[in-house]
Parts: sequence; C-alpha cells; structure tokens
Amino acid sequence: MVALALALLLGTLPGPSCEGQTAAGETFPTCFDPGTGWVLGTALRVQDDTAALVVRTGLLVRVDRSSGSKADSLWFDSHRLLMTEAWGGDRQGLTFTAYEGLLRRHVEEGAILVSIGRPRRIPFPFDVALALRAAHLERRAWEGAGWTLETGRVGLLLDPLRTNTEWGWLAVGPAASHALRHAPDGTRNEVSPFTSLLLDAGWETRDGRWALRATGLAGWSFDFDGGAHFRARGEVALEHVLLAVNDAPVFVRLTATGVRNDAGLYRRNEAMLGAGLAVRPFGER
Amino acid sequence: MLVSAVTLGCALLLGQVEAPEVTGQEAPTGAPVEAPVDSNEAPASGPPATAEPWDFQMAVPGATSPQQPYEGQALCLALPPTPAVPSGAWRARCDEAKKECLVSPAQELDSQGHESDQPLQRVDWCLPLMLPQEKVREYRLVPAIAEAPPGWYRDERGRVLQYNFDLHRRVRVGGAWAPRWLRETDGVDERVRVDFGVDLEWPGDSDRLHRMTLLDTELYLGDAASYEATLLRYDFRSEHDAPLFRVTTFYGRPRRFDVYANLGFWMEVLHGEQVRRDDVHADFLSLAATQVTLDLWHSSDLVSYVRVRAGPSVERDRTNGFFTLVPAAALEGDFTLDRDGFHHVRFGAEAQKVLLAEHVEGRPLRPERLRLRASYEVIALAINDQPVSLTLDGRGTWRDDVANAPAGWEWSAQAGLRFSMWAPARRSAPATSPGKG
Repeated sequence: MVALALALLLGTLPGPSCEGQTAAGETFPTCFDPGTGWVLGTALRVQDDTAALVVRTGLLVRVDRSSGSKADSLWFDSHRLLMTEAWGGDRQGLTFTAYEGLLRRHVEEGAILVSIGRPRRIPFPFDVALALRAAHLERRAWEGAGWTLETGRVGLLLDPLRTNTEWGWLAVGPAASHALRHAPDGTRNEVSPFTSLLLDAGWETRDGRWALRATGLAGWSFDFDGGAHFRARGEVALEHVLLAVNDAPVFVRLTATGVRNDAGLYRRNEAMLGAGLAVRPFGER
Repeated sequence: MLVSAVTLGCALLLGQVEAPEVTGQEAPTGAPVEAPVDSNEAPASGPPATAEPWDFQMAVPGATSPQQPYEGQALCLALPPTPAVPSGAWRARCDEAKKECLVSPAQELDSQGHESDQPLQRVDWCLPLMLPQEKVREYRLVPAIAEAPPGWYRDERGRVLQYNFDLHRRVRVGGAWAPRWLRETDGVDERVRVDFGVDLEWPGDSDRLHRMTLLDTELYLGDAASYEATLLRYDFRSEHDAPLFRVTTFYGRPRRFDVYANLGFWMEVLHGEQVRRDDVHADFLSLAATQVTLDLWHSSDLVSYVRVRAGPSVERDRTNGFFTLVPAAALEGDFTLDRDGFHHVRFGAEAQKVLLAEHVEGRPLRPERLRLRASYEVIALAINDQPVSLTLDGRGTWRDDVANAPAGWEWSAQAGLRFSMWAPARRSAPATSPGKG
C-alpha cells in the first residue's frame, strides 16, 4: 500500500526540468532512462568470502506506446538484449541472455467481462504483463564441461500498482519455462509448466538517477525422465547515477543475489553481493 | 597600401622638385643626428643623375634614431648629396597621418659613418617617387634606421643581424664530451659524441603544429664506440576547441565540466641503435613505431609542451636475428624558455618492453628498457647569423636486453657545442627590434 501510494503520488507530481545550462548557454541533459542505453560496466562480486571481478554488457530498450487496438490502453515495454555477464576469479563463468522483456499493459479502468448469461463487467484492479525470456545460457568453467540453457520462459503477470508511467511496476504471476542441462553424462530436459511464480518489480525516480529493481522466481521444475525440483532465486539491484560523461550516465550498481537449488549444473545454493560502476551511453531520457 | 604608397611617392617627388623649401631645413625633432651638412660645401662626389635640387642636406641616422616600420611600402628618395651619403640614395617610409617620412640611407655605412658600396640587406624593394609638389609640403623628413624583418636587428650603420632563432628549424652539427658510467661494473667509458640532424617544423590547419626530424644521428667515439640514429621522426600536436569529454554532476545544481584532451600522433621510421657493454654488444633496428600523444600542457603556439605518448613498434633484433614487438610509453617535455629562442630545456622518461622475442641465452625472454634524459641548450653566439649553442645533457638507461651483460643502469653526462644552420627567426618573433619597443 505504501508503494502504491508512493507511486500514485509520484505520478501526480509535475515533471522535473531535464535540461541544465552552462554559463555559456549550452544545454545538457539531467534526466536519464534506466531502461534505455548500452550498458557497459564492471563490478566486484563477493561470494563465500571470495571476490571476483565481473564485467557486464547489454542493450536496454524501453518503449511507451498507446495500444493500437484498445482504447485507453498504454503499453510499457522493456527489452533487454544480449545481456552478458562474465566473471573471473577461482570460479569463472558467464551468463548470456539473448532476449528478456517485460511487456506491461496499463488500462485506466481494468475490468473482466463475464459473458455467461447477461454480460457483466467485473472490476479487475490489475494491469497485466507478459514476461518473456529466450536463450538464457549459463556456463561455469570451474564445474567442468557442461552448461545450462533455458530455451524459453514466459510469465503471465499481474500488476496491482497499475502506474501509468514507466517509473514503477510490480508484476507477479506464474511462469512456464523449458531448460536443458548439458553435463558430461548427458543432456536433461527440464520444464516448469506454470509451476513457478515470477516477480518483476521496479521503482525509479522521475529524473532516472535512482533505480531499484527486484526480480525473483520460485517454484518447481520437472525432468522429462521424472523427478521434481524446487528452486528459487532472487536479485535486488540498486542503481544511482553519479555523473554523466558526454551525456552518458555513469552509475554505481549494488546487487544482492540469492539462489537456492538452481545455481549451475549441479543446482547449488549461492549468495552474492556485488558493487560496481557502469556507464550507459544513449541513456538520456 | 601599395596604391596609397605610390600616390604618396608621386606627391613627394613632384612636390619636392618644385618646392624644395618646404622640407628644406626641417630638423628631425628629438633625433640626435649628425648636423645637416652645409649646402654650399661641395660634395665628395657629384650628385646622382636622378638627384633633385634639394636645398638641404639630410643627416644620417644615429644609434637612437627611430626605426622604419616593417609594414608598408618603402619609397626610393633622391636627396642632395652629402659627405656621408654622396650618392643621395635614400629610402623612405611615410606616415600619412603624421605627415612624416622616416628616411634612411639606401647603402650601409662604414665605421666612419660614410656610405659604403654595400646595399642594405633584408629590406623590401622601394618604389620610385612620383608625386605633386603640394603634397610634399605636408611631409617632413626624419633620419631613421631602415626596417628589419621580425627577429632581426639593424644598427645605425644599416647592418642587419638576427637575434631571434627557431631551433626547431635547423640543420645541426655538434660534438660533446660524453663519458659513460656503468653502475654494475663501476667502469667509465671515455667517449665523445658527434651528432647531426635536420629539424623541421611547420604549422598546419586547425591549430596543429607538425614537427619532423630527419637523419637524427649520434655517434659515440672512443671507449665502447656505438651509435644511435633515426631516419625519420614525425609528430603533430593539436589544440582542440571542442571538449573530448563533458562531465555532468548532479549533486547540488547540475553542472557541466568540459574536459579537453589534445591528442596527437608520433612516429619513427628506421631507428637503429648499437649497444656496447664491456665485451658484448647488441644491435637493434626499429622498423616503425607509431604512438598516440596526449598533451598534458602546451603553450599557446604549441611549441612548448609536456605530454605522454604510448604505442607499439616493430623491432628487428639484428644480433639474434628475429623480430619483436616493443610497446612503449613515455612522458616528455620540450620548453623554449624565452621569446627569442635562446634557452631550451628538454626532458623525457620512456619505458619499453620487448615482446614476442625468442629465447636468447643470457637474457630474459621479455627484456625491458628505461631511458631517462634531460638536456639544456643555450645559444652562446651566432656566426653569420647561424647560432652556436652550448648543450648540456644528462642521460640514464636501464636495460637487460643485451645478452650476457649484467642488467643495470648506465649514466652519461654530456657537454658540448652545436652549430646550427638555417635556424630562421621564430614565427612568433616580434616585429620591433630589441630596445625599440
């Protein structure tokens, strides 16, 4: 409720000036879009008292648009392309995600039409969102030969915040996925037929200098040849723009990640803290 | 300018022909010159064929006489002959606003103050006088020292000498006493250095300065004779108006800070070096080196600078017969300390790492070099306007790229003389001579 009130309050505030001016009269941007730009950063990650250097890159695209087919409907689409994270140290590895997106549809008055008998309109106080992910590869060199590839994941989410801006969202719902675990002893198929709960939440200041994002997944997955596994993972990331170089924001990124029965080929538990710097060219709002 | 000068020349000529009394006894105020010669005295030689019937005798300039400006057009004047200037040939530069002409003899004067047969050196050609008499009456003639090009000085006798030198444009030959101390062996090599090189410098577009050195050669003779030579070295520096980085801060009122970076380029082609340590030697030939430079500071004319440069080179180890890749980084500075280019300070520190070398018995697989250098050069005198300078050098080198020679420092202190040919006046040379303000 507090978050909802905060989001509503933020939505009613007048917009900040997003342009500064030098003494010579030249202008420069002072607002940034945390969901847009080319991210290039490095970080120090601590896991089990072991530090590792992480590099991270990828493309972010965020688009706001009116629905072409539904009146009074807005789409807030966030796309993440070619996100790559690689880390060194004693436990070298990388993750690569070809595509990840959250497509959120906002309507002014949500409703469900019940057409059985006399059509009735029942209030539906949620925005709906579609979470997609394709080709998520995880490779850990220190585990030996093998990799984990999530070929696809789709989540049907509801957003009770229902903000009409891209600055805040809270999407929760079931998700289905298929993954391959390739180990020296063979490749196993694994599927989660909407038996997992997916969370994608975010909050940003209107000038884009602060951004908080939380993601999580918890539920069961099933091997094709039998067996169910409960796994959960969650990550919280806080970003703050320190300065801008050539109008590209340079920001600090603090992360906390926890994984239960889902890390690497052998379903390990992990907990990590990270802090780093990144730059996001083309990230002005 | 030329048109007005011609017009003025015509006015002076015609006016003085028919009305000599206008300027006749006009004494140049404030100019301590020789007393005008009595017009009744017979001149040492007859007046020139073009002499006009002046009724006064112009005095020759003195040491404190004004100097003709370098700008504008000089006019040829024919004045009555005097014992000092029997030819009557003078040059004038006139100020239309002041209605005044500064006139000087067209020939140099000898030590007795009499006209010699040497025409003035490094002066512009003069236009003959052709002007109506009424114009002439408005002008008065003042004895003066003829003009001198920027960076040059002309004395009261009309002799010209260069006092401003550009040592970045010269052909130099020098020699120095250059002993070397080897720290590892406590040995001293008694050596002399003979050096040669051609330095060129020219400004380019967009606030860019190019510099090139050809055939930069240093021969060390005596104990452990060796050499170091570069066929071609080229670099340019730039002054950029647009910032390389714009940094915006958001704490408090958003503010933008512009970070300027003046990048340049440096390259060498065919740099050879022979190193001698006791009984061993090594020969290296760098085929090509290209580096990026970043000026930490430079003067407004880009001549003086402090910069860092870094980049790779391809080198041939001629002693062992293989190619290597040698990345290098350097911090260096070059200062011209005074306006007239007499004092020069240079320093540099360069580190090199030899990569991709084959294994050589008695030396590391990836040898390293560190070179330190500081030098001072001052022009002591000039012979026929070619400067002779005193050079002081201090050099130190650490290297472990010579097989079977102990790694360590060698130091050298060098003092010598250098003769520079060409060495024109600097582009920034003032148009006024020293003491003329």
